[in-house]
Amino acid sequence: MEHTQRRPTGVARASSGLMDGLQRWLPKLVVAPTFLLVGIGIYGYMLWTGVLSFTNSSFLPSYNFVGLEQYAKLMESERWIVASWNLAIFGGLFIGICLLIGVVLAIFLDQRIRQEGAIRTIYLYPMALSMIVTGTVWRWILNPRLGLEKLMHDWGWTSFSFDWLVNSDFAIYTIVMAAVWQASGFVMALFLAGLRGVDSSIIRAARVDGASLPVIYWKIILPSLRPVFFSSVMVLAHIAIKSFDLVMAMTAGGPGYSTDLPAVFMYAHTFTRGQMGLGSASAMLMLGAILALLVPYLYSELREKRHD
Amino acid sequence: MSQLELRDIRKTYPGALDETLKGINIDIASGEFLTLVGPSGCGKSTLMNSIAGLESITGGSIVVEGKDISTMEPKDRDIAMVFQSYALYPTMSVRENIAFGLKIRGMPKDEIQQEVERVADLLQISALLDKKPARLSGGQQQRVAMGRALARRPKIYLFDEPLSNLDAKLRVEMRTEIKKLHQRLKTTIVYVTHDQIEAMTLADRIAVLKDGELQQLGTPKEVYDTPENLFVAGFMGSPSMSFINVTVEQAGAGLVVNVEGSDGRKLALPVPDYLQGWAGKQVVLGIRPEHISQPDEQKRDNQMVAESRFTVEVTEPTGPDILAVIRLNNVDVQCRLDAEHPVNWGEEAELMFDMRKVVFFDPDSEKRIRP
Amino acid sequence: MTDMVRTGFRPSRIAIYGVLLLACMVYLIPLIVMLITSFKTPMDIRSGNLLALPTDWTTIGWTKAWSEACTGVQCEGVKGYFWNSFKMTVPAVMISTLLGAFNGYVLSKWKFKGSDLLFGMLLFGCFVPFQVVLLPMAATLGKLGMANTTAGLVLVHVIYGVAFTTLFFRNYYVAIPDALVKAARLDGAGFFTIFFRILLPMSTPIFMVSLIWQFTQIWNDFLFGVVFASGDSQPITVALNNLVNTSTGVKEYNVDMAAAMIAALPTLVVYIVAGKYFIRGLTAGSVKG
Repeated sequence: MEHTQRRPTGVARASSGLMDGLQRWLPKLVVAPTFLLVGIGIYGYMLWTGVLSFTNSSFLPSYNFVGLEQYAKLMESERWIVASWNLAIFGGLFIGICLLIGVVLAIFLDQRIRQEGAIRTIYLYPMALSMIVTGTVWRWILNPRLGLEKLMHDWGWTSFSFDWLVNSDFAIYTIVMAAVWQASGFVMALFLAGLRGVDSSIIRAARVDGASLPVIYWKIILPSLRPVFFSSVMVLAHIAIKSFDLVMAMTAGGPGYSTDLPAVFMYAHTFTRGQMGLGSASAMLMLGAILALLVPYLYSELREKRHD
Repeated sequence: MSQLELRDIRKTYPGALDETLKGINIDIASGEFLTLVGPSGCGKSTLMNSIAGLESITGGSIVVEGKDISTMEPKDRDIAMVFQSYALYPTMSVRENIAFGLKIRGMPKDEIQQEVERVADLLQISALLDKKPARLSGGQQQRVAMGRALARRPKIYLFDEPLSNLDAKLRVEMRTEIKKLHQRLKTTIVYVTHDQIEAMTLADRIAVLKDGELQQLGTPKEVYDTPENLFVAGFMGSPSMSFINVTVEQAGAGLVVNVEGSDGRKLALPVPDYLQGWAGKQVVLGIRPEHISQPDEQKRDNQMVAESRFTVEVTEPTGPDILAVIRLNNVDVQCRLDAEHPVNWGEEAELMFDMRKVVFFDPDSEKRIRP
Repeated sequence: MTDMVRTGFRPSRIAIYGVLLLACMVYLIPLIVMLITSFKTPMDIRSGNLLALPTDWTTIGWTKAWSEACTGVQCEGVKGYFWNSFKMTVPAVMISTLLGAFNGYVLSKWKFKGSDLLFGMLLFGCFVPFQVVLLPMAATLGKLGMANTTAGLVLVHVIYGVAFTTLFFRNYYVAIPDALVKAARLDGAGFFTIFFRILLPMSTPIFMVSLIWQFTQIWNDFLFGVVFASGDSQPITVALNNLVNTSTGVKEYNVDMAAAMIAALPTLVVYIVAGKYFIRGLTAGSVKG
């Protein structure tokens, strides 16, 4: 009989109960450091900030609890109200315009364009830049005397005036411009990927039914990209709420505090103006805003999964 | 002593309401080729994974040559497995794939070299040894997967639907290869498949599973000719057995069951005496296509043969013969006709019913009525 | 999808290319302006305009930005801070990527009770606005004696980057068939052997994604830099912001732009060389696992 049993020598024989036990624990051991770091670094600290938001901490953390006083102060602070309004305006415009530009560019790029790769690379490179760099450049471009205005004058449009950067009514829109420039390429990339994933047999059926290309896009393709819309909105909203770098570089919140955003408010009050309790409260409200977006989104995702 | 004993194997997945395996008992002798066959979800893959140690069992024991291995880690069980998806390590060459398990066990380099060459020779993949899996065809990858298992010379080989990813022609070729290998090496093999033809052609014995329970354990002939219940009867054999509800009636000295064709024509089919206890009752008649065919002179005088004309509803030429469908008691029944004497659908054909190998089932318990 | 436009859409194609090219210009112009301005003299800037080419190409903006410009109290240019950024980014990228690889491996191939919960925790951690952790983190760093150090910044970036890297690796490993791990277990391989001998060799693409993504995120970060570092440990993003915002003396826009270019170059180069990995990172992060 050809098939004789051969006992191989070696390490495997020494496998005792101890080794097996260790193997069972190994996976848990390996993730334990991360679990610890994240558990403390994110959740623990979130809690801590929450606690501080109920105290009257100023330059140093203190643990005198004052209930909701800090939140009340926030609601009454004109600066906070401006910051919140700015977030709504900035966020809304930023998300809306990014979506529009991103979708349009994605659709156009999907039309079998030559050099598509190169064009895509150009649309996306702003995402590789720091927001500080973006802010710095746009600040220069929109410089009231030497920037866009001068360019227009030199090109013949002498009545052009563009002082938005230092105009407290319009400064927030300059932030929108820079942010859209940076992030619209990202939306384009997401949608292009989504468009490429659309089932071509549905489109062929629509063509046989006689629909024209724009109609096909509007009525069939875009509606099927709802998940991409939602994840784009989520990511953009996340960027908007966290926006700090861009504002600091472009306007530092000014003129005055007309371009203030919650993130800037938080930084200023916590680290510069020695009002840690107030700053913590503002941070908690920012967290609340994110949760308000995240929870319904996750809920609807989970619900859809169950229905499938 | 049998090589592999599965004693009352039970498995419930955490959080599930029902048991996936409901007490499986199978003894496998050394050198035996056992196939586990059943529809999707019958538990065959779960059973396979449990034998390998990739999943734990909630009850029962797995015994190899007298030793209980139920709680041992896969690597200590001395079992090799060939996967449906081959599961070859993509960044390693064929040689390294086969040698991997041996290296881990600390086998010396020259011995590993010998083993790899022996296995490559056996499976005719010597020319592929330095290639990576992505460069191989499906059939070649399958051989490498088998080679990996063979190199380890384990006590038991598990095959998990290894041919399902191959096209039909290749599947038949590989089937023969596997059978030849088994005859040569006389290894103990447990082979899972959902294809009952594969099961029949490869196995020494077949275990038919449904919903986690063993329906029948027997040789291919036993399972085909004397199925234990309706499920096994309908599952094994292609085209499958037809089932007709009939009543056992006394007709003179013998027993008959009456069937009625689509045009109202009746025929009394003779049935064996062991159904005496069922006179006047309903039974399920199970008849295979090969039992109904064109009249054969030699069979005419047999007591257990009946003849009549029936209208053919559909014909399916298969090459060697023609499958024709007739309607009896409102049920489609398939017959096997000679390809040299075709019949058009809608026409009548003279058909002979050979009742000698027909089986009967209790309509309530679904079990076969035994002589 | 792309075999759509063969049927008589000729005139629109010109419009499409037109729009696309216009968009290209809009995206490229700020970079061009940044470049041109950095090579001008202050006089050139005052007399010319944004898109006017320099009459005298000069590198004085660059040399000043690198070693003389004032970034707050000191006036030694950004070169020190440029190296600070490297000293901070490289270790942080390596550590967070390695941790992410191990975590992803465990969470996809060695699931245990609670592993899905852990993954959920990490996923949520990607969304948290960092404002809620700044203060406690600063306090902790102080207690650990790591306030205002590069090591402190590395720790911070690892903690807040490991959620993303884990997400990348976990999603990647989930797509690798479990049968491969089963086969290896039957062959006798243990936890680490399977990782190092089988999965790791297959992981080059996702390693690239993680490294490049993390490099970009960490190098470009400003918030952590400005809160947790000061003086000698500041990264270049903070130095740039200080440089641009100093209100003393005449504003030298050529220096500002040169400094911005210096800050932008590393991530731009990475993007140009290995951009496809960056894009994979972008799109991978938005696909729910």
